[in-house]
Formats: sequence, C-alpha cells, structure tokens
Amino acid sequence: MSDKGFSLHDALFIGFCATLLVALKGMLRLKLGITGHSMFLICFFYLICYGAVGKAGAISACGMLAGLLAMMLSVGKGGPFILLKFALPAIAMDLCLLILPTLLGLKWRFIMLALVATLAWASKGLIEDLLVGMSIAVALVQFAKSALFGSLFAVFAATLVPPVLQRLRSHDLLDNTELK
Amino acid sequence: MRSLLSTAMAWFLMVIKMWVKRVKTPFFDRSGRDRTSPHYVVRSAKLCALCIVATLCCASGAFFVPNTALIPLLLINAALLGHGRYLGGRVRGLLLLFAIQLLITSMLYLLLHGVERLHEGGLAVTRIMLAIIPGWWLSIVCTPQRIGEVLSWCLPRKWAFVMAASFSLLPYMAKETREIYQMQVMRGANITAKALCYPKHWPELIYCVLYPLLIQLLKLSKQMALAAKLRGFGSHKRPTHWPD
Repeated sequence: MSDKGFSLHDALFIGFCATLLVALKGMLRLKLGITGHSMFLICFFYLICYGAVGKAGAISACGMLAGLLAMMLSVGKGGPFILLKFALPAIAMDLCLLILPTLLGLKWRFIMLALVATLAWASKGLIEDLLVGMSIAVALVQFAKSALFGSLFAVFAATLVPPVLQRLRSHDLLDNTELK
Repeated sequence: MRSLLSTAMAWFLMVIKMWVKRVKTPFFDRSGRDRTSPHYVVRSAKLCALCIVATLCCASGAFFVPNTALIPLLLINAALLGHGRYLGGRVRGLLLLFAIQLLITSMLYLLLHGVERLHEGGLAVTRIMLAIIPGWWLSIVCTPQRIGEVLSWCLPRKWAFVMAASFSLLPYMAKETREIYQMQVMRGANITAKALCYPKHWPELIYCVLYPLLIQLLKLSKQMALAAKLRGFGSHKRPTHWPD
C-alpha cells in the first residue's frame, strides 16, 4: 500500500470510507439472494473515494483497507481471502484510471470503472472455481451470471456518485476541484 | 506430503491446546462479571500471527492440494469447525452458504454434464467451504485488536494509524448510522429492510443516510488529522501500541 501523495486527512477519509463500507455490509445484510449485489456498495464507496480525494491509488488504498477490516471483523466469512474480494476490483479500477481520465466525462468514466471492477470481481470467482476443479463450462456460466448481475448493481451505484459529489462540492466540503 | 501432514499435526495440536485452555477458563471471572468477549482465546500478537499464517496455508490448501490429500485437510477443518462452534461461533451461515452453493452448482452440472459428473460439483463446493472455514475460525479465536497489531507490522505507519483510528471509530459510526437511519425511517423514507428489497429504493438510502454520513466523515477526518498533527504524529520513529 503506497502512501505517496496522500495527506493524513485524505488517508483518514479513505480509511473511514472503507470502514463505513464494511460496517454497512455487515449491518444491512442485504440478503437478496441475487448475485452481485455487494458490488453496489463496493462501487459506490470506491468512486466516492476517488471523487473526494482525486489522487491515483486512492481506490486501491480503500480496497486494501476494506479487505483488511473485513478480514478483522469477519464480514463475508472469507478470512484472509476476503482481502482479494475487496482489493481486486479496486486495483483494476486504479489501473483503468491510468487510461481513462483523458478520454471520458465523469459519469461515463465512473460507469466504465464500475464495469471494470465487476469484471475483476467476477474473474476472481472464475479463477477460484477453476482452482477448486469445476468444469470450464460450469465456471464460465457462473462467471457470466456474476458479471451480468454485478455490472447491473455496479452501474446503478456509479450513476448515483456524481450527484453526491456535486452536493458535497456545493457545500464546500471537497478541496479537490480536478474532477468535474 | 510428509511436510503437509506434520504441519497439519502441529496445527491440530495447537487447536487442541487452545481448546483445553478454553475449558479451564470460566465464562465468568472471579468478580462474577461477564466477560465482553468470551470466545477470543488468542490474545498474544505472536500467536495471532501464527494463526493468520496457518489460516492462510489451510485456506490455500483447499485450492491447491490434490484430491488424495483432501482427507487430512477435511479433518483439520472439521476440528476447526468443532472448535469454533464450541467457542460460540455460529455455523448456520456457513451451512446456508454450503447449501446454496451446492444447489446452484449441482443444477449447473446436471444441465451441462448430466448425472455422471455430479460428484465433481460436490467436490468443488466442498473445496470452496474448506477455503472459507479457516477464516471463520480465525475471526472467532483472535481478537480484532491483535489482528490489527499483526497487520501493522507490515503496514506503513500512517496506514496503521488510519486502520487503528477507523477501527476505534467503528462503534461511533455504527451509532451515527443507526441514528440517522432511524430518524429518516421516522420521517417516512422508504429505507426499511422490506423496502430495500427493491433496488428502486436504494437511491433514497444514498441520499437519506449515506450523504449525511459522508459529510460527518469528511469533517471528522479533517479534525482528526489536525489533532494528530498537533499531538506530534509522525515525529517519533517507533510508535507505541496501547496494551490490553
């Protein structure tokens, strides 16, 4: 986890976002029985972090912290592997940001990031399924199902982030003016 | 194979030792006061680090060991499950997860491969559960503070502080979230557990609960950063940890 360029204020905000994500996931327990609903909260908080801090690496830091906290609080019952569930989409989003900023507007950029995060999240499931010995056909069907439902929830969350950032900015709570 | 078995034996002995220790320890201390966390038996940071490493090895083993070595792994996991259950862990969630996974995977195997390969699906789901059980056990035997201390050994100082601050603020955040949520429900927001089953109500959750929370967090992080700097955060090379 690189702390280059983050002020203590930024780092604390990222940490609080990660904590809130894990706490909400534990408290709300949206047991809908639908694959991918966890991508809603994950994408929302990662994109809020990116929008509020506005620095490369903010999403990865949030993902790593959320994974560590989830591991400590046993949210998701994954033990040390829960780290990957939170960290992989975050790292994929940050890598994608290396290309995206110059190409798209904020809303479409968030939607693209959400889709990339969902792909990374679903790929983790695919790799796990293949490692435990599932047949390729079954693993691919599971991957397609996760990617489809996960992307629906992730895109839904991504469309809600710009108005929230706009409101925070209008209350003069965000120092970062780069993202508009 | 021999080294895997010896590691498994060592870990199994450690679990038995902790189990015995737990049996000797009463639920109530001498003053008759109920302990707040009766199931955490690992209170030393070094033992906690050992537990984390063992959990990682065991969970990784679920993915990588051949089918012939699955029996020892199953025995270890059965011991962990029994130990965790004995210490007050809830296995209902694990069983539910296993049942759902088994149902979905079996249906897919039946559809795509027929009955003759159904056992492969069962084996895959069993392996997934073997990867999950050690993590579940870890969360039952180790205190969150000790896991945090172990993690801070390999984290930069600033991020260790952030983790500690976030963790200590968790009760405050949970209280704030609950208060804001209850107030908004009283105002008539469609964010009750039943209403949230419909994704069309989720934007209301964002604007009624998460938005005020984010404002609180932004202010809090600014104040906390200022307070930490005024108290000399970052000026000492070796930060200290609050003891138990």
